[in-house]
Amino acid sequence: MEVSTMDMDGDKNGDSFKRFLVFLPVIIGILAFIFMLDLIIGSVTIPVDAFVKIITGGQVKETWMHIFWDWRMPKAITALLAGGSLALSGLLMQTFFRNPLADPYILGISSGASLGVAFVMLSAGIFSAGTILGSFGFVGDMSISLAAIIGAFMVLLLIIVISAKIQSNITILVLGIMVAYMSSAMVTILLQFSDQSAMHAYSFWTFGSFSGVTWSQLPIMTTLLCMGYILSICLVKPLNALLLGEQYAESMGMNYRRIRHGIIITTAFMAGGVTAFCGPIGFLGIAIPHFCRSIFVTADHRILVPGCILLGGIIALLTDIISHLPGTDIVLPLNAITALFGAPVVIWVILRGTRFGRGVIS
Amino acid sequence: MKNVPILRCNDLAIGYKNQKSTLKEISKDLNLSLNRGELVCLVGPNGAGKSTLIRTLTGIQPSLGGEIWLAGKNINELSSEEKAKRMSVVLTTPVTTGYMTAFDIVALGRFPYTNWAGRLTPADRQVVMTALATVGAANVSHQYIHEMSDGERQKVMIARALAQEPELMVLDEPTAFLDLPHKIETMRILRHIAQKTGKSILLSTHDLNLAIRCADQLWIMNRSGSMITGTPEDLVISGIFGSAFEIDGVYFDPYRGEFSIPVAKRGTFHIIGSDPMYRLWTVYALERIGYVQANGADPDFVIRIHKSQNEAIWQILHQNDHATCCNIQQLVEKISTLQVSGGDLN
Repeated sequence: MEVSTMDMDGDKNGDSFKRFLVFLPVIIGILAFIFMLDLIIGSVTIPVDAFVKIITGGQVKETWMHIFWDWRMPKAITALLAGGSLALSGLLMQTFFRNPLADPYILGISSGASLGVAFVMLSAGIFSAGTILGSFGFVGDMSISLAAIIGAFMVLLLIIVISAKIQSNITILVLGIMVAYMSSAMVTILLQFSDQSAMHAYSFWTFGSFSGVTWSQLPIMTTLLCMGYILSICLVKPLNALLLGEQYAESMGMNYRRIRHGIIITTAFMAGGVTAFCGPIGFLGIAIPHFCRSIFVTADHRILVPGCILLGGIIALLTDIISHLPGTDIVLPLNAITALFGAPVVIWVILRGTRFGRGVIS
Repeated sequence: MKNVPILRCNDLAIGYKNQKSTLKEISKDLNLSLNRGELVCLVGPNGAGKSTLIRTLTGIQPSLGGEIWLAGKNINELSSEEKAKRMSVVLTTPVTTGYMTAFDIVALGRFPYTNWAGRLTPADRQVVMTALATVGAANVSHQYIHEMSDGERQKVMIARALAQEPELMVLDEPTAFLDLPHKIETMRILRHIAQKTGKSILLSTHDLNLAIRCADQLWIMNRSGSMITGTPEDLVISGIFGSAFEIDGVYFDPYRGEFSIPVAKRGTFHIIGSDPMYRLWTVYALERIGYVQANGADPDFVIRIHKSQNEAIWQILHQNDHATCCNIQQLVEKISTLQVSGGDLN
């Protein structure tokens, strides 16, 4: 009798993973649909039949071809990848710090990126040397991304060097926050001495946007973010162990130092990469992991990692569609849209409660 | 191989190393050995360094000197995975992660055995379910850990340690935070594991009464950091156990096997009655209010218990007075109002 109940239990315990596998085609279907929607609607609507023609290699109006390939396609790919990356790096940080309020930027990596960007954009007005980088307006897209990557990388190095000497990851958390404060302090000083147009350009950058990535930049960004995806997938087992805390994880044979570096570097690839090419996009990184946990009712990273990649992509594409206010020429700041439209959805999911209870549990 | 202790340490020194490399040594020259299949309780007053020793033995904290041998191998030469297959832990930090069922938690115990993605094979599932059944938590395997009581959660954490299939389980104060029945239940489970599976168990605890009754060996850590080991009964009879814990006024009663609560002595009594249970609890009640048995000397008063089929009466014989009570509460109230002549021995 004992054996039979065991078998029964053994079957039931595959629940959340099997449920996820059932959901998976549905989620991918929704993702494909939203992706298509992002390609055809905007200030100019491309009719569905024209869309089909473009995809199948047929001929349509020159402007549509131009809008579709040079404008919307890189934007949609960027949104898809950036959303997934932000969600994933948020998940990594929340598990690593065992803190539901952790987000991709908590290590200060994107603050480093912001500082790099601020330096390029704002220093032009302050130091004549800054003009070497090109006067404002002619600062190439690439130099902004490059500055962001350098800034992010510097902070990453700093965090890694410090963390090698420190046991507690809470200390790393506090150090990350301190680095973020120092970076934003330096940005503030740079802003103080910049002219209006430079300030405007910088604050425009902080709004975040998926539209700034060109075909030539896309491979670099895709490489960075997909490396983050692959590393995250490799980390699912230690991430699950970390749910019990670092001491339990170590007692089960996990090499904590190696995994810690792995998690920090993976987060840096994704959070740094997104910030470099899209600006500091908030909210998605902190909210989507909670959204995934509520939907899939699990803490298992074998489900949450792909879940975050897909749901992050879907939600980022949706916010991109909304921020371009279809049918108009107005573009709202992406950061405003992510929070304004994302927060109610997340609040609804959290408060609706499941049969497993309500609220954020982490 | 059977004769090799599962855990042994030679001249072990434990403590903390400051950043300026100043050592704060808590204990040194520790020579301990833990045999296979034994349950060892590490006891000692607060601040003696029990946790430090547990943390050092499990490798959470580096030792300051000496060697630790786990299953015949120096612990520093074992990889973390080899160590995990020999030793599992239950820590004091409570695990309250959301969205994890008891099964999920216990399944994490399979960490050293599963592939890169942590996929459970049918054999792994069987180990997990057996571990849950062993601790009596198979019926809650689908419950979420954050919805469980402390007692159930502790069982699940023990099952997780068991699912790691170690030779030695180390538990840091597994009975803390639990009510008395759950403390006893936890100890029963651990005894059961040691007996049934032959695993060795080391646990630290503050529940001395339980430790005396459950442990095969006691490791007593003094306030000075020195360590005395032995079979609990031997340590009690020799008085070593009592002297390690006594503080002003609190002493260990080796006849009862427990610590007594000190009360100012007010007098003596003699008790007559045949029912042992009624006798025992009457004596306890009187001791609580400061009266002790006369042991042959002239008592201040005599209690006689008349026990019939389903009721009992207590008679108090004091000088020439007689009083009758029908329960212990009345007895205590009566005696408190007695003017016991010469009773003020204080």
